[in-house]
Amino acid sequence: MTISPNIAVQFKNVTKAFGEKRVLNDVSLHLEQGQVLCLLGRSGTGKSVTLKIIMALMRPDSGEVWVDHENLAGLSERGLSAVRKKLGYLFQDAALFDSLTLYENLALPLKRLTNKSKEEIDDKIHHVLLAVGLGSDSAKYPSALSGGMRKRAGLARALVLDPKILLADEPSSGLDRITASEIDELLLRCKEQHGTALIVVTHDVHGTRRIADRVAVLDRGDLVAFGSVEEVAQSENDVARRLIAE
Amino acid sequence: MSWSGRVFESVGKVGAFSARVLMDAFRPPFEIAQLSRQLAEVGNKSIALIVVSGFALGAVMTLHTRNTLVTFGAAAMIPAVQAVSFFVEIGPLVAGLLLAGRVGSGIGAVLANMRASEQIDAIESLSIDSFKFLVVPRVLACVIALPLLTLFMDFAGLLGGFLSEALASRISPELYLNRAFENLQWSNFIAPTLKTAVFGFIIGSVSSYFGFTTNKGAKGVGEAATNSVVIASLLIIVADVLLIKCIFFLFPDTAI
Amino acid sequence: MPGRYLAVGIFIVAGLSLFVLGIFLVGNRHEAFSQHVLLYSDFTDLDGLTKGSKVRVAGMDAGQVTQIHVPDSPTSRFRVQMRINEQLHGLVRTDSIVTIDTEGVVGETFLSIHSGSPGSPIAPPDSILQSKPPIAISDLMTHGLGVMDDADATLKLLGGKLNTSLDGVNVAVQNANDVLVGLKEGKGPAGMLLRDEKMADQIRDTMTNVQSTTSSLKQAASRMNGIVKDIQERQLPEKIDGTMTQVRAASTEANSTMQLVHQSLNQALGPDIDGVTAAQNISETLTNVNAATGNMAEDTEAIKHNFFFKGFFSRRGYYSLSSISPGQYRRNKLFVNANGRRSWFTSDALFQPGVHGTEELSAGGRQTIDAAIASYGDAVFQHPIIIEGYSDAGGPADQLARSYNRAFLVRTYLEARFPFVAKNVGVMPLSSTPPPGLNHDHWSGVCISVTEKK
Repeated sequence: MTISPNIAVQFKNVTKAFGEKRVLNDVSLHLEQGQVLCLLGRSGTGKSVTLKIIMALMRPDSGEVWVDHENLAGLSERGLSAVRKKLGYLFQDAALFDSLTLYENLALPLKRLTNKSKEEIDDKIHHVLLAVGLGSDSAKYPSALSGGMRKRAGLARALVLDPKILLADEPSSGLDRITASEIDELLLRCKEQHGTALIVVTHDVHGTRRIADRVAVLDRGDLVAFGSVEEVAQSENDVARRLIAE
Repeated sequence: MSWSGRVFESVGKVGAFSARVLMDAFRPPFEIAQLSRQLAEVGNKSIALIVVSGFALGAVMTLHTRNTLVTFGAAAMIPAVQAVSFFVEIGPLVAGLLLAGRVGSGIGAVLANMRASEQIDAIESLSIDSFKFLVVPRVLACVIALPLLTLFMDFAGLLGGFLSEALASRISPELYLNRAFENLQWSNFIAPTLKTAVFGFIIGSVSSYFGFTTNKGAKGVGEAATNSVVIASLLIIVADVLLIKCIFFLFPDTAI
Repeated sequence: MPGRYLAVGIFIVAGLSLFVLGIFLVGNRHEAFSQHVLLYSDFTDLDGLTKGSKVRVAGMDAGQVTQIHVPDSPTSRFRVQMRINEQLHGLVRTDSIVTIDTEGVVGETFLSIHSGSPGSPIAPPDSILQSKPPIAISDLMTHGLGVMDDADATLKLLGGKLNTSLDGVNVAVQNANDVLVGLKEGKGPAGMLLRDEKMADQIRDTMTNVQSTTSSLKQAASRMNGIVKDIQERQLPEKIDGTMTQVRAASTEANSTMQLVHQSLNQALGPDIDGVTAAQNISETLTNVNAATGNMAEDTEAIKHNFFFKGFFSRRGYYSLSSISPGQYRRNKLFVNANGRRSWFTSDALFQPGVHGTEELSAGGRQTIDAAIASYGDAVFQHPIIIEGYSDAGGPADQLARSYNRAFLVRTYLEARFPFVAKNVGVMPLSSTPPPGLNHDHWSGVCISVTEKK
């Protein structure tokens, strides 16, 4: 497999363990800019950990993680901050700040990580909220939003910095199929309009088949399959085949 | 690990956590907006609780001490007893315990919930130091608010005592106030009020510790809240003993 | 967001206000923010007094004991430094007495500064006040009863003695007067003295001295009231004891002086062979009178400090200004003396409205008074001054009150501004009617009367 210079994220032999339990075992994978990678696997197999390692919220025990041509291991806090600015993270339950309104939730990253003026921030938030279909809800607190709206709000917050790479942790979990497919649409639109690279942790096979350019399957810390949807569907690994089967 | 080993480990962790709070409190960037938000949460929202309890406690105190003092012909001492007991001990300690209950559980639960719902990760993902953003403002808010709340408690207690006494003996407010402060020294007022800043630090750092370091998901929320209240209240009472000894050492004339 | 800052601001401001209030209330008690005066007193026995003990002036909390200097030998005493509130400083006079008292039967020990007599100057800062050793209550009872009996007996004795003595003074003065009249008319054996101006001046001075002695009797009597009250209220047996000794000594001296005067005058007026000898006799006699009356002035001063003689003095016509009515004053030749110098001031010239409807001295008024006093020269300090207050506004009571207030304002100013002896300056409220024969039927303002003899 050749590695193009257009690589967005690359794992080289990454290992991560919590105590005795290995959640990532010598994992190597990569993703090109503008592609969607779906991470599949049974619960508790290190999918979320993979995202957190990319976000530099956790450090791997060994191996290298390259994000947008930077090796995270060699970066200072300031350097990590610069990398994080290029990343958007949609958390599993959106992880909106309960004590802030929707507007404030979106304004916080802009205020902290950019030098935008108040007008620019207002303008940006307005556009992002319109894009996810929450244009009229900016003054609401997260507790007043439904599950689907929270997911959209979380997505809006992840997108507000115009990330080059978007990480999404189970974007369709807990949602009905219609709402889930709406979220998938939004993710696809990011990819198409902005050339964003996406890494999506999901259990939703339907969604995966719709959006994924690449699929990686993790099982008990091991990367058991990595390739296009068709390649994984014909994988020798039993778990991978069963996960991707409709 | 043995039971005592776990206790020592917890003490060590809380100690290190508190030390980190102290160091981070004096290191920029300062989260002023967060501090103000927490002050509103800790201070303003506790005023009603503090004032009403202080008032009721003051009234009850006078009802109890009045009989005894009148028996010994020391009715003139009622305001002084009220003022000294409130300013020296009841005000600071009860305000501390009430705040440990109200705010300690709140901080523990909120932080544990933020941990469980990945809000703390979300903050970290914005390159914001979540410790400085969440913990330090909460501890500082407790340190600042508790002495002020103690003053509310003291004066509410005095007011309760006055009304209770006025109903019994028709004493005038001026006379009550004069007698109340007659035997009060600087050290009876300032030192006990300022010692509550230490109580505030205990409440803030202990409850933040339990909330911030939990890793048990939703189940950890209730646990963190309970631990926060129990440990903070216990430490306040123990610290009170030490602080009073310190005050006696610094102002020998307050020890009788 | 702005709402939250507002709420937090209110919370903090309210809390800090309570803190300041607390500090103020506590501080108020301990006089932290007021002006202080340091005073000292010495004690042989502290009776449990410690640094920080309360100090009361006339029963009011005034400050605390700030330092106690421990003596290094049994003969010296504890030097106690006390810090008292400036506001109460006015009550502490040079003759104030400091005692160590106990609150209740088992209460804490505190220092009590008894207010002094109004005539004494205010005790200056850092001065040392007289102290009285603490008295055990039982001692006081026994001692007090004995002293009272003693005082009673002494008084009965003195009553007779002094009566005779003062009658003697009157006779002596009358006699001396006769001598002078005789001399002026060129009669008698000492007729040649007419040509001796120096001798005549000496005689005149002597007479003036006699007269001013009697007038000082009246002036100083005003102090008596305060002392009477003082003794009655405090029941200080020691003080009564001291006064009795003083009275005894004074009366004895007065008695012997009078005998001397009698003897000398008799001698002088008796038939004589040699005129020169008679003149010398008179000269010596008058010197004696001079010395005697000088002593008398001091003695009577001491006597007048004692309240027992109040009735006695007023019966004899030696009035205290505070004890005679405006009517009596107007009729009295001594005060309404055509020879005396008077300065009349209208109210407009002296006063301006002050706060609460009272009057106060205006700047112009002060200058006017200064100018008037300056015109009298040094003599003004040696003669009694009476400040008559007049007012014609309102009813009789208003007039009296206001005229008293005006006179009092001027007196206070004079005492503060010039080195007057307090007992020499009296006030007399006369409503709107000046004494007759002074060319003023009606007045509103103040008249300063110097009872100077020509």
